[in-house]
Amino acid sequence: MTGRASGGRLAGLLPWGLCFAVFGLIPLLTALGLSFFDMNPLRPDLTRWVGGGNYARALGSPAFWHALRTTAIFVVGTLPVTLVLAYGVAALLGRLRSGEAFFRAAIFFPATLSMVVISLVFKSLYAEQGLLNGWLQAIGLPAVHWLQDPRLALPSIMVMDIWASVGYYAILILAGRKTLPVEQLEAARLEGMGAFEIERRIVLPHVRPVLLFVVLLNTVRSFQIFIEVFVLTRGGPLESTLTLVYHLYERAFYHFEMGYACAIAYILLLLVGLILLMQRRLIARAPGTAA
Amino acid sequence: MGSRGNPVVGAVALALALALAGCAGRAPQKRTIVFWQFSPLTAIQPVLDRFHHEHPDIEVQVEQLTWQSGREKIVAAIAAGRPPDLAEIGSTFLPGLVADSTLIDLTDSIPDLKSALRGWPVAEYRGRAYAIPWMLGTRALYVNANLMKRAGLSRPPATWAEFSNAVARIDALGSGIRGFGMNSGEREVLFKKFMPFAWGNGGHILDSTLTRSVVASPQNIEALRFYLSLKPHSLLDRQEMLDEAFTRGRVGFTISGPWMLRKLPASAPDLQFQVALMPRPAAARGTPASFAGAEALGIFRGSKEKALALLLARFLVREENAMPLYVATGNAFPAAVAAEQDTYFVSHPGDRVFVEQLKTAVAPPVHPRWVEIEEILNGALEEAIYGKKSAESALRSADAQIGALLRKRP
Repeated sequence: MTGRASGGRLAGLLPWGLCFAVFGLIPLLTALGLSFFDMNPLRPDLTRWVGGGNYARALGSPAFWHALRTTAIFVVGTLPVTLVLAYGVAALLGRLRSGEAFFRAAIFFPATLSMVVISLVFKSLYAEQGLLNGWLQAIGLPAVHWLQDPRLALPSIMVMDIWASVGYYAILILAGRKTLPVEQLEAARLEGMGAFEIERRIVLPHVRPVLLFVVLLNTVRSFQIFIEVFVLTRGGPLESTLTLVYHLYERAFYHFEMGYACAIAYILLLLVGLILLMQRRLIARAPGTAA
Repeated sequence: MGSRGNPVVGAVALALALALAGCAGRAPQKRTIVFWQFSPLTAIQPVLDRFHHEHPDIEVQVEQLTWQSGREKIVAAIAAGRPPDLAEIGSTFLPGLVADSTLIDLTDSIPDLKSALRGWPVAEYRGRAYAIPWMLGTRALYVNANLMKRAGLSRPPATWAEFSNAVARIDALGSGIRGFGMNSGEREVLFKKFMPFAWGNGGHILDSTLTRSVVASPQNIEALRFYLSLKPHSLLDRQEMLDEAFTRGRVGFTISGPWMLRKLPASAPDLQFQVALMPRPAAARGTPASFAGAEALGIFRGSKEKALALLLARFLVREENAMPLYVATGNAFPAAVAAEQDTYFVSHPGDRVFVEQLKTAVAPPVHPRWVEIEEILNGALEEAIYGKKSAESALRSADAQIGALLRKRP
């Protein structure tokens, strides 16, 4: 009976397992293998073993370090802002007396759009003669070269990314807030706690596991930034938006250096893994956290 | 009971079934060509239907690639050992495929096509043809006739001096109107916009043996200085945004392709515009050069139906088959020489300008290291446009880098 039940469970897992193997595990292992080879996809017959050569090359490449730096700026610039905004929006949504469903749907709406669509919309907004500059000029301010100025291109993408992701994370945090027992909040109020005190001492510790999840998810997503760069700037101007994943895409599909691109991907994977581990430990150590 | 028990009917049925099975066995098997291309299926399908009519035993499995991911799809298919039999390949992608011996050498199979088609420089490497030119693309100068009139200009500029003057005068109209749409923020297209001025001035990227960089030639430096002199009067943006600004009547001149001819009357019916040849250095000097791109048909080494793929390629490049594709898409012109005489161009003078422009358009060199050369050149141009380097210093830096690349063993 037990054997049959576990057999049934395994059969239930089979479709997911197959999909994971075909689209996840096998490409992951293939990429790991490839990262030790010099491989041109157009000439697979000339593939040769280079050992750790691709990794050494990446670590010695100024382009790699530039792309890593750009990616790090993006992550550091977007993650805290997104988290604070998402938390703030969730807090506001939680306090709404009416129309919560409407605002929840409105705030979540960007998450339902493809990043390509969002990027295309922002491309028009950021255009030299686009809507944003139209507004600026209407109030007598000069036009801003949002995507053409190397100093502004990355921040412009960061703003777009924050706009696109705040709603999704806000809903996750709101869901966490909703699990807080009403009695606990009422008891805190009866004890004379103010709104800020309740937020700091009751709500924040309660939603900390959700916040950890949001931080981890956003870190992974931010390190993988690609579509926004591909659609808006292609790494320019003057390589000011050249992120790591866009860099590896160029090496793979323009220079046909598949092994090298896989090595960059694995360095990124290790880096993100390490950062996630550190984040997890830091947040877990924070007082009042069970995570 | 019916015929089920009738032995005669049963025998006849059996005989018929055997006869049919015999016929089926003798019928020639249909062979399939896998063909990847970029045109909408609604445009290419009627042409392929005609091919099927001529060759009923050949099935064409056509697939539309997108400009965003077509390159990746082809690379992935080659890597997987399952390339299409025939594919439309852009001229900037072609050198890499040739360098990696991915395409078969067609030189000896198509001597008859040499004189029937134009655009061979984009398909040949060291005198051997690795693809067949199918459609040719170029860019010309779009002129806002209203703004010209408001600036007191009577005809499109034909020389650099006239162009510079017209750009400055239109820019002086103010109210957010700019003289020229200059590409920036998309490094990958910069050489296509600058090199027409350099080619028109007698400049080149590599020498005729393709072994030495001539990027920092006096002709190229002079051309880049001229190009940069337009910047103070220009709107700097990506191509699609420049096209849009031109559509809204905010830019005097922009360099763009024939696709705008179809788009403008629909999206801006009130816009008065003309298409003109690119300006040349002076009335008695240089040429009105432009960038020549091509869509060529290549047969992959891994193709299982090379002979049939060649048959289809030969069919597609014929004037009567390529011309309907141009009429349907308006993107690139047939490489067939005969297409130039098509009556379509008599009734469409804008398109006619592009056909004229093709005569002085120049293709970038087909070189195995082209991707790297293009990247270096685009990087240098971007630095010059952003004022990080002077025209001379940017081109000298590109020259040194390309020189080092050419000296390196592949």
